[in-house]
Amino acid sequence: MSAVYDVVVIGGGHNGLTAAAYLGRAGRRVLVLERRHVLGGAAVTEEVFPGFLFSVFSYVVSLLRPEIIRELDLPRHGLEILPLDGTFTPMPNGDYLWRMNDHARTRREIARHSRLDAEAYDEYGKAMVDMARFVKPILGMTPPDPMSPSLASLRDLWSLAQRFRRLPTGDKVNQAKLMTMSAVDLLDTWFETDVLKATMSASGIIGTFLGVRSPGTAYVLLHHYMGEIDGAFRSWGLPRGGTGAISEAIAGAARAAGVEIRTASPVARISVRGGRATGVVLEDGEEIRARAIASSLDPRQTFTKMVGHEHLPPDFAEDIERYKFRGSSGKVNLALDALPDFTCLPGAGPHLRGAVSISPSVDYMERAYDEAKYGRFSRRPYIDVVIPSLTDPSVAPPGKHVMSCFVQYAPYRLKEGTWDDQREAFADAVVDTLAEYAPNLRDIVLYRQVLTPLDIERTIGLSEGNIFQGELTLEQLFFLRPAPGWARYRTPIDGLYVCGSAAHPGGGIMGAPGRNAAARILRENR
Amino acid sequence: MGIEHDVVVVGAGHNGLVAAAILAGAGAKTLVLEARDVVGGRCVTEEIAPGFRCPAVLHAAGPLLGRVARDLELARYGLKWLEPAVRVFAPSPGGPALRVYDDAEQTAAGLRAFSAKDAERYPQFAESFRRIGAAIAPAMTAQPPGVDAPRAGDRRAIRAAADLWRLLATMRRVRALGKREAYRVLRWAPMAVADVAAEWFESDLLRATVAARGIYASFAGPRSAGTGAALLLQAALDGHATAPAAFPRGGMGALTSAMADAARARGAEVRTGARVQQVRVKNGAVRGVVLASGEEIAAHAVASGADPRSTLLGLVDASELGPGVADRVRGYRCTGTAAKVNLALSRLPRFASIGSEREGTAALTGRIHIGPGIDDLERAFDAAKYGEISARPTLDVTIPSLLDDSLAPSGAHVMSIHAQFAPYALRAGSWSAAREELLRRVVQTLAEYAPDLEETIVARAALTPVDLEERYGLSGGHLLHGEPSLDQLYALRPLLGWAGYRTPIAGLYLCGSGTHPGGVVSGASGANAGRAILADLADLRSAAARRRRLPFGLETEA
Repeated sequence: MSAVYDVVVIGGGHNGLTAAAYLGRAGRRVLVLERRHVLGGAAVTEEVFPGFLFSVFSYVVSLLRPEIIRELDLPRHGLEILPLDGTFTPMPNGDYLWRMNDHARTRREIARHSRLDAEAYDEYGKAMVDMARFVKPILGMTPPDPMSPSLASLRDLWSLAQRFRRLPTGDKVNQAKLMTMSAVDLLDTWFETDVLKATMSASGIIGTFLGVRSPGTAYVLLHHYMGEIDGAFRSWGLPRGGTGAISEAIAGAARAAGVEIRTASPVARISVRGGRATGVVLEDGEEIRARAIASSLDPRQTFTKMVGHEHLPPDFAEDIERYKFRGSSGKVNLALDALPDFTCLPGAGPHLRGAVSISPSVDYMERAYDEAKYGRFSRRPYIDVVIPSLTDPSVAPPGKHVMSCFVQYAPYRLKEGTWDDQREAFADAVVDTLAEYAPNLRDIVLYRQVLTPLDIERTIGLSEGNIFQGELTLEQLFFLRPAPGWARYRTPIDGLYVCGSAAHPGGGIMGAPGRNAAARILRENR
Repeated sequence: MGIEHDVVVVGAGHNGLVAAAILAGAGAKTLVLEARDVVGGRCVTEEIAPGFRCPAVLHAAGPLLGRVARDLELARYGLKWLEPAVRVFAPSPGGPALRVYDDAEQTAAGLRAFSAKDAERYPQFAESFRRIGAAIAPAMTAQPPGVDAPRAGDRRAIRAAADLWRLLATMRRVRALGKREAYRVLRWAPMAVADVAAEWFESDLLRATVAARGIYASFAGPRSAGTGAALLLQAALDGHATAPAAFPRGGMGALTSAMADAARARGAEVRTGARVQQVRVKNGAVRGVVLASGEEIAAHAVASGADPRSTLLGLVDASELGPGVADRVRGYRCTGTAAKVNLALSRLPRFASIGSEREGTAALTGRIHIGPGIDDLERAFDAAKYGEISARPTLDVTIPSLLDDSLAPSGAHVMSIHAQFAPYALRAGSWSAAREELLRRVVQTLAEYAPDLEETIVARAALTPVDLEERYGLSGGHLLHGEPSLDQLYALRPLLGWAGYRTPIAGLYLCGSGTHPGGVVSGASGANAGRAILADLADLRSAAARRRRLPFGLETEA
């Protein structure tokens, strides 16, 4: 039997590594165990085809907490985030909508569609930044438990209520609407241009099994403005070297703090004795003992597979069974011989350096969802395209390009057939859809990598292919994530903690669950 | 002109009448003004063909708060409740039919034909709803808390303290349910009803029957998030997960005419054929109303039973509302997606899923739910998103004449059908052209279960959302005076900061379904608003007295 660690972290994704780095810096003896041969989980860069480096799964940094960048000194460990310039939405009528990082140009562009909307755009942006300012502290907070009599919990709840009460009325209204409305209903109160609403609403549905008209999708729109208040650190964009570079930088910080990291070390189960986690057993039989265990995996992997329901209180086991994953998206990564040429704006202009969004109308988005509701992948899906090789030439051979296509909806459960026999049809639908706007695409594809929700589950262990380790819906957020009463990173098993996206505040390359969980572990294991 | 009335109530719908009865009962001089020639609003019984009388708009009370019925002594004024044997009857195409009774064990016994597991779980489910309903019910009869930070010494501070006390009391009751049940309240509210039902049951028909209550008359499918809250709110009123089958003898009009009698007996005056055109406002305070006839009536307060949009944008000048509020009222979502179809039948149609003749009559006496699965409900909703009529609408059917021989000639029947979805704004064409198509689809959908329906029809009429708007004054034709979605419930109904029945205009109150708890026929909005007005009445009277003492009608900005 090997030495006893203070903490064993299961999973070398960005959250697991973040937790490990903080624990290591606090002087704990930490071991990270990663199942795959590469670190990063969903934030991973791999050379899928010779010379082509893909951010295979997660492809942009959305909300990486600036305090993490600062405290772990990630730039020193090689993190560099390059700007992703704007969003370009081609339209079937030959027009387009192109929002850029340049504010004045975006205004002019929106005014081309609607003067009123150009004016509203500024006000909307201001309102969202105000709201983001209100929400931001919640991301770094351990959720209070409203049903527990703990004084600390009540104090947290009270201070939250007071902060809300002190908001100006307009902000209260906006905040209440954000938490409850659908993205489209909310945007309807601001804008009239369909393509603008469709493109903006898209960020409300990413990773969920909801449509742009589903209540509860408005809140996610806020996340786009969170970056704006993060100040000096750029927290939104493309990491040089792909998203794996983030994981590598965090791993670098962890190693520098003395953390031991082992890849190709799949954990088979978590040892529980007398209601307490005592260590882990690897698939090859090796046993590793630890005083505490932090799992960055999702609840199904952690509790159903590695702990076993026999060790769980029945209510908790039921909550974990019921926890909703419902993966709804897939990924198609293309290796290209040249750049796509969009009919509505030909040439390799700067519009290709940002995101290209296939979201021509609200109804288009909604119909894509309708197909998924009844168990089919969208024949005409919402696609978010990024061509990182334009910003970061190191990821493709000279003159060639990599193109990342995030595709929704691709329901994990198909009504007919299996993903194994629909994989190529799914990719064809993606290429066909894109070719309607950029007809040369079919001719320039050298290779394609198709990742259905089933592939995502198989490759990186995200149950049902949900990229956020479980849906970000109201009933699975804050003090209800991942289970009611267990949102404070602890679990019913003493010594076992959760530190992944299934814990508050949820998914995206944010790092907050890892950091919050580390703080909790340090507090409870002095 | 002297002020003869303390309160003018606009609209003699059930909420307006409840408010009037409470106000008059407490000694306030109250006048109810109804635009139509009959009282009742959405609760009316109208002749649809000679000898056939039908609950024209809403067809079941749902549920009328026991306290309201008791306080108003409605039985004294002739109200008789009919007692259907079955609460909800839900047939499935070619399969057995589901029967929901008030009694959980009886329901569970019938569920065995669908799923042994569901039969076993149903009593727990019913008990869970009963307990949760009981815990949050007191919040239904109290005004929602304000959200503005009060100033010390302000009257609002006292009110805020009372709000907070009530809120804490509700939270205590919820916590007293135990962690498990308490978390259910928090989890279920933002969820989709389809998911709530799926947590309990495997039978699609049962899931759909439960889900139907969460999407009733709203722009939502069973997979829409937040429909759990709509279900919980309604369940809070009667502690049951499915819609109640509470029918007054004589149709819904008998309920409101008993209410009108109760209000009159307490001293209120009820005038029909008196359409209020405008609420007169001066210096930010109500002075009275102006009728369409030009008649002016002075009053200290006006309580509008009309929906928030038609009250705040139609009866007062938007500029009186103060900055931003008018825009927020415009953003209040009250575009209807439900239609009403009323049929006069020569005889009872035969429902295929019913066995014996005798049992048949009993099974059909409650509500009949047509929408056999979650996907059917969801597909029906899909159409509404694109401005179309559902190909196979979800139907909530009642045949009140089965228990009430006053409604139809002997042997004949009236059938009242609530149909979803029929969006107010059709993408293609107008409702005058589409009305026939709606009728056809409704009858065709129902004929899948009652094949001889078509041949029994003597007369038929459809009320589209546009008709509901024009004839009954419902903005957007919305049957619930506005969407019962998370962003428009409780402290957000109709607007955050104005959920306490008061409005930015002193003396103007909302007392209709567009306020908490709103929705179905419970009378709670009217009762809550009535109490809020009584609390303010002394102040309103003395403000008027101060104004009268000023010479030459001079007024200062108070």
